[in-house]
Amino acid sequence: MKIDLLEMADGGGCSSKIPALQLEEFLKHLPLPEDPDILVNICNHDDAGVYRINDELALVFTNDFFPPVCSDPYEFGQIAVVNALSDVYAMGGRPVVALNIMMFPSSRLSPDVYAGILRGGYETAAGAGVSIIGGHTIDDPVPKYGLAVIGFVHPSGIITNAGAMPGDSIILTKPLGTGIILAANRLGLASQADISEALASMKQLNKPGADIMKKYGVKGATDITGFGLAGHTLKMARASEVSITLNMKQVRLIGNTLALVEDGCIPGAAFRNLDYIEKDTRFSAGLAYNLKMAACDAQTSGGLLISAAPEIAGQVVDELSETGFHKAAIIGKVTERSEKLLYLNE
Amino acid sequence: MKVIDTSGLQCPAPLIATRRAMKETEEGESFGIITDSKSSFENISRFLKDHGQEFSCEESSGKWILTINKGPTGNISVSPAGYCETPVPHFSKGDFIVAFGSDKMGEGNDELGRHLMINFVLALKDLDKLPVRMVFYNSGVLLGSEDSKAADHLNEMEKMGIELLFCETCVSYYSLSKKMKVGTLSNMFEIAQIMASASNIVQP
Repeated sequence: MKIDLLEMADGGGCSSKIPALQLEEFLKHLPLPEDPDILVNICNHDDAGVYRINDELALVFTNDFFPPVCSDPYEFGQIAVVNALSDVYAMGGRPVVALNIMMFPSSRLSPDVYAGILRGGYETAAGAGVSIIGGHTIDDPVPKYGLAVIGFVHPSGIITNAGAMPGDSIILTKPLGTGIILAANRLGLASQADISEALASMKQLNKPGADIMKKYGVKGATDITGFGLAGHTLKMARASEVSITLNMKQVRLIGNTLALVEDGCIPGAAFRNLDYIEKDTRFSAGLAYNLKMAACDAQTSGGLLISAAPEIAGQVVDELSETGFHKAAIIGKVTERSEKLLYLNE
Repeated sequence: MKVIDTSGLQCPAPLIATRRAMKETEEGESFGIITDSKSSFENISRFLKDHGQEFSCEESSGKWILTINKGPTGNISVSPAGYCETPVPHFSKGDFIVAFGSDKMGEGNDELGRHLMINFVLALKDLDKLPVRMVFYNSGVLLGSEDSKAADHLNEMEKMGIELLFCETCVSYYSLSKKMKVGTLSNMFEIAQIMASASNIVQP
């Protein structure tokens, strides 16, 4: 019998991440460790922590794991690893070693499924030049998989979400819509073409994006995951003390994403993200409701959001396209901090 | 009236059903949606508000029943004005909490006291520094009920990120459980803890 991993995750895309508003509330009560070698901590809600070893080397340290986003164990393993490595790439780092994080219902699923997930993970990590050197599994009713990853970065080459400068162009490397397509897939509403495109996008390593950012000396970037394009852009604007304007018509979407939104296929996470951003966001009068919700759609293994000087932005997009990111596009610009942090235009 | 029961369906299926019914229903007619998921209920409510649709809702034994009176479809795209005009100005929080032990401000004439309290809440909103939290106990909880003129202002303050905590015992004592419009219910331990750890307490 073919195992459908999706049937194991009832909460699914709607609720696998704690809403941003709630998370910020939890985190702000935690004491921040003090150590001059901590170069990036949770203050700016960045993708990973960075710790300086010496003047030449710093560690980028991150973890990420989630319940199944597709039916096939091998593909789930691939996507979980691409997603976990993404945080390191977003910070300009090179992932080196990783540990598996696995939760698995050993009484409900066969060992083949376990092996399939891990095989997808190992092969993807190996393809990225990352060695998985251990891990930890807990028995749990809903399978979850991901990695804790250590990457290397030069202390002067760290890219953060606090590095956006007024005048910069904003580039998004992957199309949006994985949350909406995955939700539609669960309900049997997504077309095969859309599912394939979403899976391919989620399996695409952000490594080329990191290489191109390094080549052009980019200082500001983040990757788009659970808080959606709008949520992560807002975090970047806040951390960088700037305002960011996004032109939603320039944002590329996966297949029939907009038609699905029009039918009401809007995962709960998109509403939580809308709650999170609206206080600091101005929505332009012409912005269609469906595009607004697409901007709030939680992404799994989404693209990089790159803040690049306008004179190099075009070349960055061209090179991204050459490395397989055919839907990379300039989608907005950075301005001096004004009344709102985020301006969402049509 | 057409009623669609989405019980047992996973998010966002109930919202998809709502959307479909909205398209199929003629303007001025009503339809009902039943869901057994709180999060679906919240998402549907938000969706309907975003589309300028009027609806009522009731909860009974773990199910939410929404009755929607289909309004004009012209505003189906977006109602940006609604968003633009939710002005939440930049604000910073001060180093104080406000404790409302009564629905009246000061001692003397009751009617004057109630009037002053509304003005006080209104003035709080315009302070340079806003309180971190506000606690309400005894007749102070009346301020958060739908009958109070202060409730809308408190609602705005809550949207600005100020935490409003209402003493649960007091809310039940005044039989307001179904009428509370803002804030979250809290117990005496939490209220005592907040007051004991606050740097400054303002008591109107």
